[in-house]
Amino acid sequence: MAEVSSGPVPYVYVCTRMRVRKSKLIPREDYLRLLNMGLPEITRFIEETEYKKEIDELAPSFQGIDLVELALSWNLAKEYQQIQKITPGTLKEFTRSYLRRWDIQNVLTILRGKTQGMSAGKIREVLVPAGELDRVFLDRLIKEETPARIVEALKGHFVYPVISQGLDEALEKESFARIENELYKQFYEELLAEARSGFRGGKQFLEYILLDIDFTNIRNMFRLRKDYRDEDYRSMVVPGGTFSAEEFQHLISTGDQKEFIGVLKEKVRLKPLIAMLDMLEGEKSLREIEIELIKVQLSHMESLSKLNPFSIHPILTYLEKKKYEIFNLRAIARGKDVSLPVERIRSYLVM
Amino acid sequence: MALRDIKPTRSELINLKRRIALSERGYKILKMKRDGLIIEFFKVLEEAKDSKSELAEKYERAIQMIAFADTVEGSIGVKSAALSVHEVPNIALASKNIMGVVVPEIESSKVKKNLVDRGYGLLGTTSAIDEAASAYEDLVESIIESAEIETTMKKLLDEIESTKRRVNALEFKVIPELTEARDFIKMRLDEMEREELFRLKKIKARNA
Repeated sequence: MAEVSSGPVPYVYVCTRMRVRKSKLIPREDYLRLLNMGLPEITRFIEETEYKKEIDELAPSFQGIDLVELALSWNLAKEYQQIQKITPGTLKEFTRSYLRRWDIQNVLTILRGKTQGMSAGKIREVLVPAGELDRVFLDRLIKEETPARIVEALKGHFVYPVISQGLDEALEKESFARIENELYKQFYEELLAEARSGFRGGKQFLEYILLDIDFTNIRNMFRLRKDYRDEDYRSMVVPGGTFSAEEFQHLISTGDQKEFIGVLKEKVRLKPLIAMLDMLEGEKSLREIEIELIKVQLSHMESLSKLNPFSIHPILTYLEKKKYEIFNLRAIARGKDVSLPVERIRSYLVM
Repeated sequence: MALRDIKPTRSELINLKRRIALSERGYKILKMKRDGLIIEFFKVLEEAKDSKSELAEKYERAIQMIAFADTVEGSIGVKSAALSVHEVPNIALASKNIMGVVVPEIESSKVKKNLVDRGYGLLGTTSAIDEAASAYEDLVESIIESAEIETTMKKLLDEIESTKRRVNALEFKVIPELTEARDFIKMRLDEMEREELFRLKKIKARNA
């Protein structure tokens, strides 16, 4: 394979590869077929697709649903690592930054596991090294004896400042929730700064980040409204998007669902989102609302990747779609394992 | 009490009469206590039925919600969120008295939590975790409530059982035996009186 390092060619190359990978994702008809299968058949189906290597590798140590789930997350991690390798130039930087959310998840899981006295093996099973921190580094973190030493080992990584600042309070309160929220806020803040730093392709990246921030805030508003108490939720907003902290607080405290959706519709500009919000005026569960939001977000990302075929959009669209493929397969396997009705499992799928 | 061990004396008769009166009084009181406890038990039983069906319902829901969370987030996501929970519910134990039976009164706090206080971050999780956590909080609350009711019921049952045994012992063993002994002494004293009278008559006849 010829190495191309400059000009538009690398972008064309990587975006084409993403399109090819996207075409290999499991289509809707297969999900519908999988819904009528039992767990062994589902495992076999998965083994016959892109997940064969992971299933074969893990089959001696795991079985049943654990095998499926672990194989899926290993494949996701491997796929994301490979994409980071093949993406060139600034796209690589953007992709790497975008995947840092997995680092946040992994580091927090290690810290929580350690403070709860979980064994290294158990913590290792829960990690998905799909971000910047690879399995070897995460293993090193697991081996550290105390949370303070884990944080020391993270020096130089983007999570270090927030965690080192909040660790004492978190250990005292025995809760990493504040650190988790702050880390995600910092994650988005850095993505915004990177997208606005003037690098080529930054404009498209910014478009995606703003979209993601808005959807995250909308999703969280629905969640917080369900459990509303007269408290200050301003610190829960991800800044930089359409909603300011005050608007976020106001929307959460708006009593009537119709009124809330009305104000929301006035604030957002995305037409598919407005159409989706129109449909929400009837009674829908929180999970159904979340699935609808994900569908709208994915379909908008798809349109963006068609509008900008040689930008960060096709890469991010593929990364998200791959994530939801894993999500769907896991949902079907798990749902079958716990004997959930087919219709119910179907309602959880992002198709 | 074997009749042969009884001394047929007047003082023993008085003593026995006192014991019979005491036993009969005790029998009446214990019978009233037993009936009162049974009424209380039926009241608690109604509560227990409701709480048990509520518990079963909440358990069912919790199982469904964790299955739902496992389906949506995977066991990895659920375990990761579960690691966030450190705070255990506080349970304060007091006691109250129902007709002499000491039963527990359990008060719990910090079971039902706000989304923000649960320990996991809002931005790294989904509503599936919220719903599973909320269902389990409801279940724990219900378990604590049921524990109070079931313990009360168990203690009442134990007390009813022991009171019933005492009532039966008094009704069928203690009082009949005492009555028999009283009758025996009475009969023996009467006989002794008759013997005495007869003896006196005989002496009187011989002297005449």
